[in-house]
Amino acid sequence: MRRLKSSVLVIVLAALCAAQGMNPLTNERVRRLGDQLQCLCGCGSSITSCNMLQCHFAGPARVKLLEMVNAGLSDQAILDAFVKAYGPRILLKPPAEGFNLLGWVMPFIGILVGLALVWYVIRRFRRPAALAAGPEMDAATLARYQERIEKDLEKLDS
Amino acid sequence: METLGSLVVVLALCLSVFSVAGSITGGWKRNQFLIHSAERAVYSIWFLLTVASAALVVSLLTGDFRLAYVVAHSNRAMPPLYKFAAWWGGQEGSLLLWSWLLACYSAVVVFTNRRRHRSMMPYVTATLMVTQCFFLLLNTFVASPFQVLAVGRTVQTLADGQGLNPLLQYPAMAIHPPMLYLGYVGFAVPFAFAIGSLITRQPGDDWIHTTRRWTLVTWLFQSCGIILGAAWAYAVLGWGGYWAWDAVENASFLPWLTATAFLHSVMMQERKGMMKVWNMVLVSATFLLCIFGTFLTRSGVVSSVHAFAQSSIGLWFVGFLAILIAGTLYLILGRLDYLRSETRLESIVSRESSFLFNNLILVASCFAILWGTLFPVLSEAVTGEKITVGAPFFNRINIPIGLFLLFLTGVGPLFAWRRTSLESLRRNFQWPLAGALALAGALLAAGVRHFYALVSFGLCGFVAWTIFVEFYRGARAIRAKGGGNLLAAAVELAHRNTRRYGGYIVHLGIVLMFVGFAGSAFNKDATAEVRIGDRFTLGSYQLVVANISSGENENYTWSRALIQASKGASYVGTLEPERRLYKASDQGTSEVAIRRRLNEDLYLNFAGYSGDSQRAVIQAFVFPLVSWIWIGFWVLIAGTLVCLAPSKVRLEYPRTQVVGVKKTYAPVEK
Repeated sequence: MRRLKSSVLVIVLAALCAAQGMNPLTNERVRRLGDQLQCLCGCGSSITSCNMLQCHFAGPARVKLLEMVNAGLSDQAILDAFVKAYGPRILLKPPAEGFNLLGWVMPFIGILVGLALVWYVIRRFRRPAALAAGPEMDAATLARYQERIEKDLEKLDS
Repeated sequence: METLGSLVVVLALCLSVFSVAGSITGGWKRNQFLIHSAERAVYSIWFLLTVASAALVVSLLTGDFRLAYVVAHSNRAMPPLYKFAAWWGGQEGSLLLWSWLLACYSAVVVFTNRRRHRSMMPYVTATLMVTQCFFLLLNTFVASPFQVLAVGRTVQTLADGQGLNPLLQYPAMAIHPPMLYLGYVGFAVPFAFAIGSLITRQPGDDWIHTTRRWTLVTWLFQSCGIILGAAWAYAVLGWGGYWAWDAVENASFLPWLTATAFLHSVMMQERKGMMKVWNMVLVSATFLLCIFGTFLTRSGVVSSVHAFAQSSIGLWFVGFLAILIAGTLYLILGRLDYLRSETRLESIVSRESSFLFNNLILVASCFAILWGTLFPVLSEAVTGEKITVGAPFFNRINIPIGLFLLFLTGVGPLFAWRRTSLESLRRNFQWPLAGALALAGALLAAGVRHFYALVSFGLCGFVAWTIFVEFYRGARAIRAKGGGNLLAAAVELAHRNTRRYGGYIVHLGIVLMFVGFAGSAFNKDATAEVRIGDRFTLGSYQLVVANISSGENENYTWSRALIQASKGASYVGTLEPERRLYKASDQGTSEVAIRRRLNEDLYLNFAGYSGDSQRAVIQAFVFPLVSWIWIGFWVLIAGTLVCLAPSKVRLEYPRTQVVGVKKTYAPVEK
């Protein structure tokens, strides 16, 4: 009974829209949901932003969206209905489940691998070059030398 | 005309084969005659391809509708500018443009290096000519622009062509592709130098200076190409965006990222002799990604708005790419000893390691985008289900990466080379950091609740401050010595070390762009169906439809709305968004009307007519801060030009090399 009621409502509302010639894009929810769905006319943009004059896909899809929105369906239910009708490729953002989860996590795995590499490189670069045993010298002389080296390097690098 | 065009392309192909063989043999046997002859072949190829391109352009301009290419991409009613732009409006013509630009680059490289880098030049020429040869093969056998329409053996002439895709009939669009190609093609030059230096095991790093300059020039073109594309999308497509993460956009962005990484890490090689292998990888990856991007654009592997008609050309690219990758890998792996690092890292908190992180982030971002672009193909192969990886995916992944990069932009230059003391860290960071926090706090108090936008604005403030301090300190030091005002001292400062301060200016440009990107968090829009006299509101704007008119010319029919906008009580101007329907192709386009201001753009799009054709559908958008993207772009260009200008003080980069102590020692002072 409830289903009948809601479908009657849909028909009435759809008729109402048609009578008014309402453009579905005037509805904020239609625009928001349409931005998550891909227009399949080949333009590659979303249903909201497809710019083709009388696009054969985006036009009817927007009307359908408006009908669903007016019928009071939840966002998820509307998206699900579109996925059911057109397959998952209609979603601009693949659902993070199954194999597609890989699509989401891989960039971060990439960053982690990169971090590990950087860490490795830093460690390798920091390992001092093997020095042969140098001449004996007392601490004060060594300190003086080191200070001078520091100073000179400072000058070079600035 | 078509006979001449085809003939010169074939001749150029023969010459390119000769040039490759000649320069390799000449370099190997040290035969100067062969080397010179191969270099002259490069000039001849340039001349021949100029003739071929001229032939195509003349055919387009005069409307020679016997040629398939002219028919498909031009028509009589098009203005001459777009007839000319039709040169790169389609597959065949744009490949000819590729070839011609490569010939230009090659000729310039050979000419400017006629007395320099003599030992490696034969191999540089050979690498360039291998690429040239590949594209000429395509021009000749796969996608000849000089094909005539024929039925049986008779050549056909059509009355009129189909016209250039109307979306492309826009001034920025006429220069966007050549700019991008200049970038794509130009990356062949650093690659060629890298290969040349690898083959000949170049000592020293004279060649790396040359390579860096070429990369910088090419990087500039690539940046221009990308931003022009964004500006075009913003002003033409009617949805107000400037970047959609379309496969082909991504393809142009990938080499830009790796080239940016190279421009930074090359400093490590120049100053410290470090990361040589990595730089080789980056230079090669940049060029390979260019070829890969061209492949994506033309093969139809991934769906894209930019894609050319699908054809078998993709296989050629895959083959070429495979050869390039194999060759580069072989050379790099065979010469690891020559590429060994000369110095060691002293501290983790140093400029050196900040470059490592910068490279990590740039390359990671490149990888993430590449991954997202190719994932639909991969996923379909594995699961059999078609999926889409669109803008929401890329935004979610890349916004944090981008913000971290922005953070590094500010932090990196504050680290000293070798190592940074805690004291200097505190001195350098406390004020910019406090400023950034204050800015973010003020915005939060003002009611900005968008997390990423807050972070972005805070970081922009931080980076801008550090750049300002760098200029201020340097300029103050110069003024202290030479007097004069601070501004003149700042100019003098930049002139003394153009690379460093030009780089800061580029960073400032990036900061301004991020301000613009962050503004998009506050976009507003409304769509209304209106008749003459109707009014609607968007944010603080009231919009009144004063008139709706329509008409036609020989190229298209148009409908135009005249909309008066006012903000509060004050009238701010009249905007005229227009809708066009091109006759030749039966395609519609929007001529949006934009009121550009520094704080926000008011953007109106005539989206079409309502179902009953009684009312016009007007989409109105407010885009805060978007102008800063274009301003940042100009700053970026200026900064790059400063970088390219020669420094007043010739910079030497003495190596701070750690040498193991050998058996003989200098006497120790007592």
